[in-house]
Amino acid sequence: MYSGKKAFLVNGRGRYIDDINLLDMLYMSIYRSPYARARLKNIDGGLNSHELRAYYKAAVGEMADLSGGREDLKLYREPVLAIDYVNYVGQPIAAVFGKNKYDSEDKLSEVNVDFEPMQAVSSIDESLKSDPVHNGASSNILASYTLGTKFDEKDIDYDISLEDEFFNERILGNSIETRGCIADYRDGFLTFYASTQSVHSIKNGLASTLGLDRDKIRVIQADTGGAFGSKGGYYPEYLIAAYASMKYKKPVKWIETRSEYLMAAYAGRGVKSWAKIYAKNNGKITGIQVKLYVDAGAYDAGTGSFAPYFIGYQITGPYLIKNVYVEASSVITNKSPMGPYRGAGRPEASFIMERMIDLLADRIGKDPADVRLINASDVPFTSPTGLQVMDASRPFLEKALKTMNYYEISKNEKTGLSFFVLIPSTRPGESARIVSGDGHIKVYLGGDTHGQGHEAWARNIIKEYLNVDESLVTLENGDTKELDEGVGAWGSRSAIVGGSALVNACKKIREQVKSKFGEYAPDKLLNNHFDAEDFFSADFSLNSLNANMITARVLNHSVDITGWYCYYDLGNVLDMGNVIGQIQGGALEGIGQVLSEGIKYSDDGQLITNSISLAGLLKADDIPDKFHIHIAENPSDVPSHAKGLGESPTIGTPSALARAIELNTGRRVRITPIGPDYL
Amino acid sequence: MVNIKVNGKEYKKDVEPRMLLVSFLRDELGLTGTHIGCDTTNCGACTVLMDGKTVKSCTVLAVQANNHEITTIESNDPDLNAVKDSYVEEEGLQCGFCTPGMIMQSYYLIKNAEGDIDEDYIKKNLRGNLCRCTGYRTIIDSVKKAEEKLRQREEINVSK
Repeated sequence: MYSGKKAFLVNGRGRYIDDINLLDMLYMSIYRSPYARARLKNIDGGLNSHELRAYYKAAVGEMADLSGGREDLKLYREPVLAIDYVNYVGQPIAAVFGKNKYDSEDKLSEVNVDFEPMQAVSSIDESLKSDPVHNGASSNILASYTLGTKFDEKDIDYDISLEDEFFNERILGNSIETRGCIADYRDGFLTFYASTQSVHSIKNGLASTLGLDRDKIRVIQADTGGAFGSKGGYYPEYLIAAYASMKYKKPVKWIETRSEYLMAAYAGRGVKSWAKIYAKNNGKITGIQVKLYVDAGAYDAGTGSFAPYFIGYQITGPYLIKNVYVEASSVITNKSPMGPYRGAGRPEASFIMERMIDLLADRIGKDPADVRLINASDVPFTSPTGLQVMDASRPFLEKALKTMNYYEISKNEKTGLSFFVLIPSTRPGESARIVSGDGHIKVYLGGDTHGQGHEAWARNIIKEYLNVDESLVTLENGDTKELDEGVGAWGSRSAIVGGSALVNACKKIREQVKSKFGEYAPDKLLNNHFDAEDFFSADFSLNSLNANMITARVLNHSVDITGWYCYYDLGNVLDMGNVIGQIQGGALEGIGQVLSEGIKYSDDGQLITNSISLAGLLKADDIPDKFHIHIAENPSDVPSHAKGLGESPTIGTPSALARAIELNTGRRVRITPIGPDYL
Repeated sequence: MVNIKVNGKEYKKDVEPRMLLVSFLRDELGLTGTHIGCDTTNCGACTVLMDGKTVKSCTVLAVQANNHEITTIESNDPDLNAVKDSYVEEEGLQCGFCTPGMIMQSYYLIKNAEGDIDEDYIKKNLRGNLCRCTGYRTIIDSVKKAEEKLRQREEINVSK
């Protein structure tokens, strides 16, 4: 294993956004709303909406396309700086600038706002029965979808029906590095540095909100200290910093505190649902109805208008169910807007389906594995909601149960299972660029690595296709000057589309060497300047089957996870160390969702979880006793032959762990996090 | 005026009474390896050694470090370097942001163990440092490896 960038990072030589300092730079602090909902009678001081009146939308990739053009959503747009009203604790109202962090925080006292507090809407239930939060709206429903076909239970074949309700509390990415940026506008050109998953999201956002030409903007990614979805999009603070740099003709730096992150970065999950299944006595499910509500927060800024559709679309996962009907909505509450958190709809869908299967198994007295098998399929199929399951799910699950030794282990231990389809966000594709010269190769990927280890697999691809030693290859940070066309790193997509673009770029650069020298040789590539770029277009479905199994004991009101197992189909493992790291890290996030993680608000919309500890992040002594990682490699059709991984552990873990816990306690798990009261 | 020894070198600086040690290290000395993750003593990213003991430098004022000795991730101490190497070898880091604090705490828990440095001891002593990427497994393995390396170094030193 070549150490690469890790050797820099362990010596404290990373260049994260707060480590970058430009000459004569101003520091920006944001005056944020202390109220969940209030009318702003007067705003005085700082840079505020009297001067900067703008709206923005942060949704990313596919998610932006789905609802981006809808005129009716304009009512719910988030202003960059609050205009007339604030609608969540932490909403930006004004910005102040100082010569250093201490100075800019002092200047917050120069802002005076006259608030008229209003009754906040702090939950999905309240939202549904309250008057509209936004003036001009007819209700608090932000977006509403129906999926599948409505059916009457009289018309379908079933012996038993079962219903239940579920809730997944909101969770934030809580990367250990908070959000931050530096805007440097000079001579009509904006150079923008950020901690991000996508320099392209930010460039697009800046271009559309500032009215600058795209060729007058360069976005550079700083080393990025984690993100988990929370740094994929465009945030209001970015625009404020850029505007201020133009105004003051100085670089402007914004680094938020953790408490600001907890208030104002976009949170994921936050889904309440009701499900009813219809089944035969042998466990075959003939119908499912689901009604679900997503807590979109105060504005249509992140994924709030897309999430309900995405959850409904994949509700049946790997199971072939004839009658499916989903009513899925998102609702406005006085909380920070919703955005993606690792899994972003996938874990929520799987939790509903898997929990219902366990309920059915208990009711008919069958092994939950057998109920899953009877509902799986021997052939690929398309679900009534349009999910195209690409592989036969029953043979895969049979193999998974055998590989994880389910029947043996579950005899002696409280064992939960989960079985799911991972749908990666492959569309619209991704770019890669390779530049050679001076004995070295630089790789650029359109999706910006932020801790997932893309460097390792990029090196392996270069080694495999170009026969260049890994020590001669570096993966560069995102930079729109070097690679202007690109998408971003999220949704378990990078190895699939980024990896494929890199494979294609390898082939192109190899041809360049051949046509110049008549043959390909690594030293000819390394010692001459060659440059190849590829955009791998992805306008097709690609998904993969995966299974998890968890064994746990509940002792003295605490959960001891004795074994965490997986059988994941990764298509083609590009780097095993990288895979293990992604799995173990994701597993702990999935466990956190069940045991303790949540962003919670009081009835009046005040943020209760206002420190990273209160947000319930797990610690070193919370990890499972043992990981049993099993990988299948059924190659995909794309050039990298990879399938997705990053989100799988956050999808499979919650429902498998919920089952293992309820087998211990005898009390059904419907809510995440279960919290101390449950135990 | 404070006089603070950092990684063996003395620094005399005028600082505001309210300046945090982490700001002193990062902004006054340019030692940006010490990171700020929460500003509230929760996450441990800013962990440094003060007179050989770990402190969270976001909760220590620079003036409290006056006439004390600070060791940060930038230190070239051979034992600390062995811990850094172990983190690289065991892939005990992903995004790298918690890593400097995690390494300082690892170094401390190895150096100051009174009993066995087993899995439980390591886990308990890392409770004050949060990592969001790795799930801690590879971090614990990194500490185990570092402990072996430091033990071997000690044995070599003794036999010399």
